[in-house]
Amino acid sequence: MVTKLMKKEWNEYLKTGKFYILLFVFIFFAILSPITAKFMPEFIKSLSQEITITVPPPTWRDSFVQFSKNLNQIVFIVIVLVFLGSVAEEKNHGTASLVAAKGIDRRKWVFSKFLFQILFSLAMLTIAFFLCFYYAKLLFPETQFYLAFSSTVLFAVYLFFILTLTIFSSSIGNSMLQSAGIFFAIFIILNILNIIPQVNPYNPMTLPSIENQWIASKVAWGNTIKPIISTVLLSLILIFSGAAYFHKQEL
Amino acid sequence: MLAIKTEGLSKYFNNKKAVEDLNLQVPEGVIFGYLGPNGAGKTTTIRLLLSLAKPTKGRAYILGENISKSRNYLKKIGFLPEVPSFYNFFTAKEFLNFISDISGMVKPNKKIEEMLQLVELNKEKKRIGTYSRGMKQRLGIAQAILSDPPLLILDEPTSALDPEGRKETLDLIASFKGQKTVFFSTHILGDVEKICDMVGIIKEGRLVLNDSIENLKKSHSKRTLFIEVDKPKKLMETLQYLNWVEEMSPVNKNGIILQVKDLQFAQKSLPEILSKENILLNKWELKEPTLEDIFLEVVHNGN
Ligand SMILES: Nc1ncnc2c1ncn2[C@@H]1O[C@H](COP(=O)(O)OP(=O)(O)OP(=O)(O)O)[C@@H](O)[C@H]1O
Ligand SMILES: [Mg+2]
Repeated sequence: MVTKLMKKEWNEYLKTGKFYILLFVFIFFAILSPITAKFMPEFIKSLSQEITITVPPPTWRDSFVQFSKNLNQIVFIVIVLVFLGSVAEEKNHGTASLVAAKGIDRRKWVFSKFLFQILFSLAMLTIAFFLCFYYAKLLFPETQFYLAFSSTVLFAVYLFFILTLTIFSSSIGNSMLQSAGIFFAIFIILNILNIIPQVNPYNPMTLPSIENQWIASKVAWGNTIKPIISTVLLSLILIFSGAAYFHKQEL
Repeated sequence: MLAIKTEGLSKYFNNKKAVEDLNLQVPEGVIFGYLGPNGAGKTTTIRLLLSLAKPTKGRAYILGENISKSRNYLKKIGFLPEVPSFYNFFTAKEFLNFISDISGMVKPNKKIEEMLQLVELNKEKKRIGTYSRGMKQRLGIAQAILSDPPLLILDEPTSALDPEGRKETLDLIASFKGQKTVFFSTHILGDVEKICDMVGIIKEGRLVLNDSIENLKKSHSKRTLFIEVDKPKKLMETLQYLNWVEEMSPVNKNGIILQVKDLQFAQKSLPEILSKENILLNKWELKEPTLEDIFLEVVHNGN
């Protein structure tokens, strides 16, 4: 049943153009990141000819600083906006009740959406990573695979959490707007909690800054076990509670 | 066995009692018309039966299964929502393909073609998003009966259809008689009268009637008489003091419509009165009540 439902998601993404939007965003920023890293300093220099700004020469690390920044900002927003309506808009539109009335297990329905979204995003991220790596290597031959790859894997863990938060918000809210409210409320609270040093190691919101630390210096999986385990646990709680809530909800 | 049975089924929204102490009985194989004015609780009843809403109180059994135990019974139901909405990005055929997929049908292609032909959407290649309401309703009927479920629950299946579409849909529903149980809600009395075996009337959340059309006509009617006499005024003056006459109203020039308490008693007494008062009887008729008369009577007077 889950694969049949995922097939419908796939058709939906193709037919509504969501597939192309996401594909474009991932590919565009994957290629753009190493290019901006390489040419931005020169570009800034050329703008200010009177005063001489000293811009440090770009390194291969800057490609992945850019990549990580783009993933955490624009790609993040696009993914959240595309996925946030997945359950909520079907409730709002009435197709959720139609499917539920067919006797489809509602929890499986939510899982199939989540599974589709995570597989789809990971596929996109993989493509984006290899593209970014290819261009980085082209522009900066000394680019190191292990660090670049590890930081992207860390982002994938963070993305996993963001997608569970998205499907959770979508399962609870009855419209895109409500779901967006729930999503950003939790997102902001977690970011505020991140200021507290005692909570910090367990907070998924530390992952992007760890990623930046890695890119700036070196990979340290050992120190990152705590936030990874708590992120995965929190993600599982979100997806299961979202599905359980939706199972009982009136449609 | 009963296809649908509810016991004290109730649904409150805050203080609003949308459905109150509903005891429905729908035998298998009948076409059941669920009638009620706007806001009576028809859609709410249907949502309860489909586990789309949680009952505040009471139980419901569908094809013998307690619906709060497991939702597997839903696989035996074809459902048409009041306002059909489907995935707008699919064409009708793609949508039915998806429905057949999740209903676990094997080799559905022939059946899908058949259904599309039945609801006259077989030549439609556009996306569902561009459909008119009537087209969506017809697609809704197709998806409801696609997997050949034994019970159909249809919420106002003809509300958006043109006269031809309405007739075809009613004929289709009528053709299920004896094979499937059909439970459908409607405001349109004529539809019920044409094809239903049984009728339930709901008013302000309460079921005020649940009976076969046959019984209904027997019990509710046959107490209305139409007579035509040469001196209607004189007769009405005499009749107004008699306690077996419930209501009386003049029609046309010489006609009177009489509601009586006991028909047989009236049949015996009237000729006596006529001969005593020297009134000529020109016409005598037992009036069959239409379902509309019964509906209005039930809805206005309780029962
Ligand atoms: N989700 C809800 N929240 C609050 N009140 C509701 C809700 N759904 C229905 N009601 C109320 O319950 C009552 C019954 O509504 P319902 O939709 O069941 O009527 P209906 O018989 O289907 O009417 P119609 O013929 O107009 O479709 C109405 O007064 C309605 O306002
Ligand atoms: Mg209704």
